[in-house]
Order: sequence, then structure tokens, then C-alpha cells
Amino acid sequence: MMRKKTSSIYQWIKIYFHGMKTSLASRMAYRGDFFMSMIIMMVVELFGPLVTLLIYHNGASFPGWERHEVLLLQGTFLLSRGIAFPFFMGMVWNTIRRVQEGTYDLLLIKPRSILQMSIITAFDSEDLGKLIGGLLLFFYALKSVPALPLVNWGVFLLLFVFSLITMFAFGLFMTGLGIVWVGNYRIYEIFISTMDFGLYPRSIFTKVFQSIITWVIPISLLGSFPASALLGKEMTGVFGAMACSIGFLLLGLWFFHRMARNYTSAGG
Amino acid sequence: MSIIKVDKLTKTFTTYERGGTFREALKSLIIRKKKIVEALKAVSFEIGEGELIGFLGPNGAGKSTTLKILTGILYPTSGSVEIMGYVPWKDRRKYVANIGAVFGQKSQLLFDIPPLDSFLLNQSIYNIPEQTFRKTMKEMVEMLDLEKIVRKPTRQLSLGERMKCEFIMAMLHQPKIVFLDEPTIGLDVIAKGKIREFILEQNKKGTTFILTTHDLEDVEHLARRVIVVNHGEIVFDNTMDRLRMHLGNKKSVRVTTHNPLSSLNQPGILIRKLHSDREAEFELDLSRLKLNEFIKRLNEESVISDMSIENLEIETIIKDLYGREV
Amino acid sequence: MGVNYLDNRAKIYASSDFGDEPFHSLLREETTVQAVSETPVHKKAKPVFRAVIQATYKENFAFRSNMAVSLIVQPIYFLVQYFIWRAVFQVHDTVSGFTFQTMLYYFAVSSLLGFLNWDDTDGTLQRLVQNGKFITFQLRPIHHLYYAFFQKVGHRILAFWIEMVPIIGFYLLFGIKPIPAMPLWAIISVALSFILAFLINHTIGTMAFWLVKTDGIRRAVLVFKDICSGIFVPLTLFPGGIQKVLFFLPFQFISYVPARVFMGSYELAGFTLSIPAIVGLQALMVLITYLLNRLVWFFGIKRFTGVGA
Repeated sequence: MMRKKTSSIYQWIKIYFHGMKTSLASRMAYRGDFFMSMIIMMVVELFGPLVTLLIYHNGASFPGWERHEVLLLQGTFLLSRGIAFPFFMGMVWNTIRRVQEGTYDLLLIKPRSILQMSIITAFDSEDLGKLIGGLLLFFYALKSVPALPLVNWGVFLLLFVFSLITMFAFGLFMTGLGIVWVGNYRIYEIFISTMDFGLYPRSIFTKVFQSIITWVIPISLLGSFPASALLGKEMTGVFGAMACSIGFLLLGLWFFHRMARNYTSAGG
Repeated sequence: MSIIKVDKLTKTFTTYERGGTFREALKSLIIRKKKIVEALKAVSFEIGEGELIGFLGPNGAGKSTTLKILTGILYPTSGSVEIMGYVPWKDRRKYVANIGAVFGQKSQLLFDIPPLDSFLLNQSIYNIPEQTFRKTMKEMVEMLDLEKIVRKPTRQLSLGERMKCEFIMAMLHQPKIVFLDEPTIGLDVIAKGKIREFILEQNKKGTTFILTTHDLEDVEHLARRVIVVNHGEIVFDNTMDRLRMHLGNKKSVRVTTHNPLSSLNQPGILIRKLHSDREAEFELDLSRLKLNEFIKRLNEESVISDMSIENLEIETIIKDLYGREV
Repeated sequence: MGVNYLDNRAKIYASSDFGDEPFHSLLREETTVQAVSETPVHKKAKPVFRAVIQATYKENFAFRSNMAVSLIVQPIYFLVQYFIWRAVFQVHDTVSGFTFQTMLYYFAVSSLLGFLNWDDTDGTLQRLVQNGKFITFQLRPIHHLYYAFFQKVGHRILAFWIEMVPIIGFYLLFGIKPIPAMPLWAIISVALSFILAFLINHTIGTMAFWLVKTDGIRRAVLVFKDICSGIFVPLTLFPGGIQKVLFFLPFQFISYVPARVFMGSYELAGFTLSIPAIVGLQALMVLITYLLNRLVWFFGIKRFTGVGA
């Protein structure tokens, strides 16, 4: 039993890497455009802190946050996105496009779970530019931060994993919506805009909104909590947010499967 | 022994009518007109192992709904399906490991990389052992003359070459049943011939094929049994030979004479086209007018310069089946 | 609006990441073409511009739920802005001459301008050229520039009802009344910005005559354009040197200038201009862009017919 489990995880990873390799090979057919797009992705990502930089440039600030601290928060956020987007967020576009074109059926006739098929056929190589952008910003901001205790790093890494879990849950909701809301490529925007709350310190929001992004949709885990952990700032409600993100993931999985099932009962 | 058992398969869809004008659209926000569409009405059939079946029907007859249910993509409203001991929509993942599908209009190949790489991806998705994979691929590639093709990017291939690769893609895991949906659409005669040959060859080796198509030539060349659906019901299910006899024992006749034709207006003759007073095409119902009787009469009245007598075209029969109101 | 906004625009701009991703705009090209050519030429044909506007309006009506997504997205972006500036203004009374109220007013107006001026002319034109359908325009007695302009008009009339009116309602909840200080000048300025945004996009679209795959570059240009037009933040917040550059680029006239005309005062890079003066400059910029467009188009068409599509 146990052996079967490990071998299936091994299988999963093997297929994932195969899908990744294939997608890279496909994209390499237009090398020039690929590198161009990747660089542009990176540059666009680096404009993320634009508003923040301008605020601090004009002598203003977010109460309680230094410039480099906010940048570190945004670097964390972009890093999390930089991992999420190339490696699994592609499933959203993949699904929207396939459902519209009618090629979603091709995923269903494969002997693998629908979720796995949606992910392995969706590695988004040019979004690696986002990852590079996130890394650049993160380490740039880190330069201005004094040496941090190892414990802070430990907690940071743990919360970063939760950040990715939250991202994945977001992806599941979008993908699920993509199955049923045929042809609406703007679904993506709804969630992308919601994630914008995660780009700024939690403390700038009113109490009600702080509760929402901690307890209802754990957006605060995307950047605010991990960065606070790293900087040793206050992080009330972090356990709640962690629990919430697990709940969010489970709900996302349920929603995705529900919608996938919907697809197999409707159709026509 | 039947490999596919379909019993009283029914599928209904609920759709909502939405108007095109602004006012209708506003109205549809409040009151939605429900419309129930019966795509399949208690369809039953069985298919034996190693059969090659033509599954026909006009657009919207329920053909693709059936195909989707049989491939586990869609689940039915009621009725049962058992294929190789599986219920497709329940044991989807285990089940689809044993089937293959070629969709003429939906490519499974990745456009920008060589087919070989797509094959390799399928190898890991289907978990095909290396040796089996190499062997099957080599055989199929040789059979379809693709040795020089599989390493070129798919986008550079001709439609025919691509379609051949789609077949390999669908059959590398040696499925017991293969579903074909319009597999020769848009192909030239030579490519069509090659693909038909391949299908027959694989069928001889024991693979069951279910072919849906609008190309009746495909059906005539391949199918030994034909199922025709229309308005969600099976209107014909029998052998190809029986299909040919479906409209009775009729012949399609074309006659040219030296002097004007007369007396074609008699029982047993249905005129299709009068080209001139000396040339005509018609259907001859042998149950009402014997062939030699007809020739004798014709010979007495006119001087025949040319004449052809053939079986009724399959197209005519299919048109008749499609056109019937249920 | 932060990086997410940029990113999602970028994604949508990069519409052919997946081949022909904005499917509906492809459809749009097809059907509009039909609708126009079906207009009976004999007895009382509709003027072409009306036919194009009506056809575009009708086709996109089917995709109104796509458009209506803005009604969820825009309030979210606005809320984020609201919180950012609320926090900033807790400690400071003014930032670069803006108070909390005027900052919100600026964002509200510039977002409305964004909806009014949005178009996908560049993407549409590039897809037409790349998939070869552009040839049909060469066979028709209408210049693509005019055709595309009226498509935009039809599309935006729909957007007015579906996106702008409800969003204005949303702003009213925040006590923001997007009423211009000098209505007449504001109307002129908005109209000019509408035309300018179109001309710039159309010119960007002509890149397709030279390049095979344009998504990457187009994305870059459009993001650059958005930043320089003042959609994300009032341009006076930029460092002085950058402001000087921004002043001489055409992009400020798309969003920053009309927003300032709404507010009743204009200032950038140390230049304080009267409203009539800046609107005059805006008109001049429209003219320059138009001439530039015609020039680029001339060479583009030459290349198109020379290479043979």
C-alpha cells in the first residue's frame, strides 16, 4: 500500500517534469519572442512596487513601515507569484482555452486525474520572468535589512509555503470557474485584482478588511505575514490565517471537482 | 462476445433560452425559459470484440453525445453502459487507459514540437513500458511511412502526415477499443487510403473500432456493421449488406437510347432525372418489375445505345434514413 | 493600482499567448465584416460609419458578461487605492499637492477615462495582418483607420452602459462626484483623448507589417504607455527628471491631461498651464499623431503589398 503511494507520487513528478520539458521545447520554437516575453514579464513585475516607491519618494509612507520593509513584503509576494504562475497557475488559462476550443475533452480521455492533466499541460515558461523579477526585488530589498535571526527565516519559509498553498487555492477557484463560465477570459482578472490586497501591509486596511483577508480569503499570507515574520513584526492572527488557507485549499479542491463534474454532466 | 453493452441510454440537457435583443436579454435575467432537449432516447446496442462499426447520423442526431458518454467524458441521465467491465464515467481513469480516440478536428499533437516528443509525453501519461513503447511505435511508424516525419516539428507536416501521427498518438498504449471521429476529414485520396489500410490492419489484429463520420466512403471501405442514429434514436443497426438492401431490392439504372424513350411511367420505376428524351436515370424496384422483364420491354420499344445497372448508392439510403421523421 | 493590475493588463494584451485568445474579438472582426458587406447598396444604404457602429455594438452585446466583469474588478482596484492613500494621508496632509479627496477624485476620473478610451485596435489589427485576413480590407473601399475607429465607437457605447454608468454609481457611494470644473473644456479634452488613444493603438498595431510575432513587444509598449499616461499614479509624483520626459511624450494626453482638466488645473514638470492652453496642446498632439500614423501606415502598406501576404 505504502509502496504504491510513493510510486504514484514519483509518477506524478515524472509526468510533471515531462510536461514541463515539452512545453519548454514548444516555446523554444520561437526563441526570440520567448526571451523577449520573459524579459518583459520580468520588467513588468519590477514595476509592481512603482506606487510604493513614488509614495516614499514624495516623503510620504505607510504608517509603521519603512520603505525597504514594504519592498521586502512586495518582493515576497512577487516571489510567491513567480513560483505559482509558471509552475501551476497556467492551469487557469489552459482550462479556459480548452473549454472554449472544445479540446478539454482530450484531457478527459487520459488515464490521469483532470487536475493533474490540467497542470502538466500548462507549464507557462515565459512566466519564469516573473520568478526572476520576484527574486531580484526580494534580494534588493533584503540588502537594506540588517542580518536576521535564523528563527525568522524558519518561520518565513513555513509561511511562504502557506503563501503558495493560498495561491494554489486561488488557481483552483479560477480553473473551476473557467470550466463553467465558457469563454470568459476575464475570470482571471477578478482574482488577480483581489490579490492586490496582498501587495500592501495588512495594517493599512480597516479592521473589517483585515479580518476578511485573514479569516475569509487569506490574502494576508501572500506577502504580509511572511514578510512580517522575517522582519520580526507583529503578526496577530497568523494561525487563524494558516488554518484559513488550508480551508481555502480544501474548498478550492471541492469547487474544482464540483465544476469538473458539472462539465461531464452538461456538455452537448 | 460483446465488449460494449449499452442499455436504454438516455441523455437530456436543460438549456435556457436567451434572446438576442436587449429587451429579451433583460427579460431573461428574471424569467428564464427552460428548454429540455432529449439528445438520446433510450438507446441500446451491443458491440462485439474486434468489430468495426460505422456509427452514423446527421448533425445533432445524438452521435457525439453517445461518443462522449462511451469515452467517459459525459455521464448519462439514465441507462447503463458497460465496456470491458467498466462503467466509463464511473471508473474513468482506469477505463480510459484501455481506449484510444482520434478526433479529426481536435489535435492531440503539440503544434510546435515533433510528433515524437508528443508520443513520449503520452508514454509517461499512459505509463507505457519502454520496450513496448519502442516496439509499438516502430511498427506503426513503418506501417504509415512516417520514418522521416516524426522528428520534424508538427507545424511543418501536411494534414495527412499529421493525421497519421494522431493515430499513433491514440494507439501507442495498445487500446482494445479505438474511437474515431471524422478521422479522414480534409485529407487527399492517397492519405485517406493509407489511413483506411492502417485501420483495417489494426482491426485484423483484434482492435475494435467505432467510427463516426460523414464520409460515406470511409464507411463503405471500413465498416462491416452500421448503426444509424437520428433524433436520439437508433433507426438502423445491421450489417453493411443489409444496409444496401434497406430500401428494398432496388437498382439504380441509367439508360441512353437512339430514339426517344417512352413508357417510363410504369409501376416499379421511379424517375430521378430526365436528361433529355433519350437519356434518363431512375430507380428500379425489382419486387415490382423484374429486371429481365424491364430490359425486354425497353429493348422492344427503343434502341439502347448505353445502359448501366448498379446497386442503389449508399448515399441514397443514408439520405432516406436521415430524412425520416420519428 | 499595483503590479497585479499591470500584470493582468499585460496578460490580456498578450492576447495571443494561446493562439487566438480573445476569441470574441476574432468573432467580432468576422461578423462586422459581414454585417457591413450585407448592407444593401441600392435604395438608402446606411452610412458606413453607422453600419459599423451598430454591427459592433450588436456583436459585442453577446459578450456583455465579459464586459461586466469590470463591475467586480474596478471596485476592488479602487478599494485597494482607497486604503493605500487613506493610510498615507493619515500621516501627511498633502502629497505632491494632492489631498486625500483630490487623490481619490483623480483616480476615479482617470479610471473612467480608462474605460472610455480602452480599445483593442492594435491587437485586432495585428491578428488581421498575421492571419492574412487583412487582405479583405485592401479590397474594400474603406480605410482601415476609419473602420477601426467606428468599431471602437460602437464598442465603447456598449461599455458606457455596462461599465461606466454602474461604476460612476459606485464612486458616488464614496462621495466622489466626477463632475468637471469646466464642463466644456472637459468634453473637448475627453473627446481628444478618445481619438488620441485610438490613434496611438492603431499605430502600435501597424508593427505587425514588419514583425511576425508581436505579442511581447506590444505588451511592453502598452504597459509603458499606461505608466506614462498616469493611470497608476498622478504624473507629478514622479521624480522631476522623469516628469520632464513625460511632459514631451504623447501619453500624458490620454489620461493625465483630461483628468487634470476635470480638476480644473494643470501642472507637470514645473509647467503650470491654463486649461485652454493644455487642451490646445492636446489637439496639436492629436494632429501630430495622426500624421505619424498616416506616415507609418504608408510604409506599412507598401511593405504588405510588396511582401505579398
